[in-house]
Amino acid sequence: MSRVRLFDLARPSRQHLLGYILLTPAVLLVGLIIVYPLIISIDLSLQAVKLPRIGAPRAPFTTANYERLFASSEFWMACWVTLKLVVVVTAGSLITGVSTALLVNNRFRGRTLARLAMALPWAVPEVIAVVIFAWIFDSSFGLMSWLLVTLGLSDGMVAWVSTPGAAFWAVAITMIWKGYPFVSIMTLAGLQSIPTDFYNAAKVDGANVFQRFRWITLPLLMPVLGVTLVLVILWVFRDFSIIKVLTEGGPLKSTQTLSIMTYDQAFGFFNFGYASAVGVVTLVICVVASLLLLGRQTRAMY
Amino acid sequence: MNRTPLQSLALYGTVVLLAALILFPVYWLLVTAVSTSADLSQLPPSFWPDEAQWGTFAKVWEERPIPLWLLNSMLAAIGSVTLSMVVSVLAGYALSRFTIRGGHSLGLFILTAKMLPATLLVIPLFSIFRNFGMIGSLWTLVLAHSTLIIPFTTWMLKGYFDTIPRELEQAAMVDGCSPMGAMVRVVLPVATPGLAATSLYAFVLSWADYAYARTFLVNAPDSWTANLGITTMRGEYSTDWNEISAAAVFVAVPIIVIYLFLERYLVGGLTAGAEK
Repeated sequence: MSRVRLFDLARPSRQHLLGYILLTPAVLLVGLIIVYPLIISIDLSLQAVKLPRIGAPRAPFTTANYERLFASSEFWMACWVTLKLVVVVTAGSLITGVSTALLVNNRFRGRTLARLAMALPWAVPEVIAVVIFAWIFDSSFGLMSWLLVTLGLSDGMVAWVSTPGAAFWAVAITMIWKGYPFVSIMTLAGLQSIPTDFYNAAKVDGANVFQRFRWITLPLLMPVLGVTLVLVILWVFRDFSIIKVLTEGGPLKSTQTLSIMTYDQAFGFFNFGYASAVGVVTLVICVVASLLLLGRQTRAMY
Repeated sequence: MNRTPLQSLALYGTVVLLAALILFPVYWLLVTAVSTSADLSQLPPSFWPDEAQWGTFAKVWEERPIPLWLLNSMLAAIGSVTLSMVVSVLAGYALSRFTIRGGHSLGLFILTAKMLPATLLVIPLFSIFRNFGMIGSLWTLVLAHSTLIIPFTTWMLKGYFDTIPRELEQAAMVDGCSPMGAMVRVVLPVATPGLAATSLYAFVLSWADYAYARTFLVNAPDSWTANLGITTMRGEYSTDWNEISAAAVFVAVPIIVIYLFLERYLVGGLTAGAEK
């Protein structure tokens, strides 16, 4: 009788073992570069520390960072800015993204080219998008100010980046330009998965173009739009480069989101403990918001 | 679908108008790059310079360390994409073919990983890299970019493997292949387009990073990536907009070229297993 080969992976009973073996490198790496750092940052948020060394004796446990955070007007201001930005950018991206998708979903000559053009900003790195818009929003010779003056909407050149209200809109417009192609691509995929039979049947029943949109396109698009919406919100919540390079969160912290506040507390003021607390709260908000928004649909996200 | 000429006109008109509006910022980047400083400090702005200064591209390429920045971005991307792809191919295959206990919680975990703000993760990563004396080295980016890439690529690849029939491997195993052999010799070759698209998508994720590069490499100009380098071209008081725009074109072009190849695979990438 032959020896029992414990590690004969070809044996059906050992099949699941191979699965775990293949998964091991990913689990180890993710543990090392995501889970372990995440545990460190939660730990940091519960210590009163500035710039600690890892492996040094741990500072005493304290919730001071969180108490300070919830008592700070800067934090609530950052929440407000984040919320405003999320609403404006999500609405803008959704409207632009869905309408471009509906448009290129029509059959016409040059449609492939139009599809490529409509989603091109997806391919422009965020920092490069900021270079473009920083110049468009330049306070001396920027195109946007000139346009507003020419159209009679503004008396003089607007100092976009140094005026609180204007800076917010400069950030929002840049983010919409960068963010809507994602919505467009996702919506187009959703549209193309709707069987044409549905439309034909509706036409036979005498439904006009608006009724077909309202009763066929929209309901069937909803699941895709739901997931897309959450992903856009998460992106705005966590974005760093656009705001940091365009306005640095200023002026007067008028464009400082939670993400920017986390970063500046850590690498501007070297308050690692406090910064981690801001970051952990941001993560909790992100997780709770997505669970609430998606509800039972959460599974669709992964 | 038959349209009346009027409907056709409206459709084409809208498409052209919207495309022009969307592409205008990219056009403006090019115009700015080939304008003189004098052109750029006048109002009304000129929408095409009298004499296009194509030499600005050569000037910026020679006077600024753009080749170095691009090389660094490339190295960070190749390193992180290679690392991420090796572990994600194995993991994606495992998740597609085997019943893994705890697979559901693993999915939830990946979902949370996608929600992690980089500005939170960068704090402990900085502490860890500082302990190991890695600050200033491109290796920090290889690891940090993998945190961005792996959650996406694992599920993207699982999705691709799901579309490949299991009968392929079963046939190979009947012919005497080991399970690993069946994966390497039969499944991976079939999955090549998916692997290529996933790698390109991962490349884009790495190339776009600014937060990690800025934090780990800001004091090491020799390691600056393209995105980090370009932000240093903005002066505190004045900026040579034509030069920074020309540099920006160099940084954007590789990704735009990839996008043109990737576009039809993009949905798979963006949803990363979102369907079903």
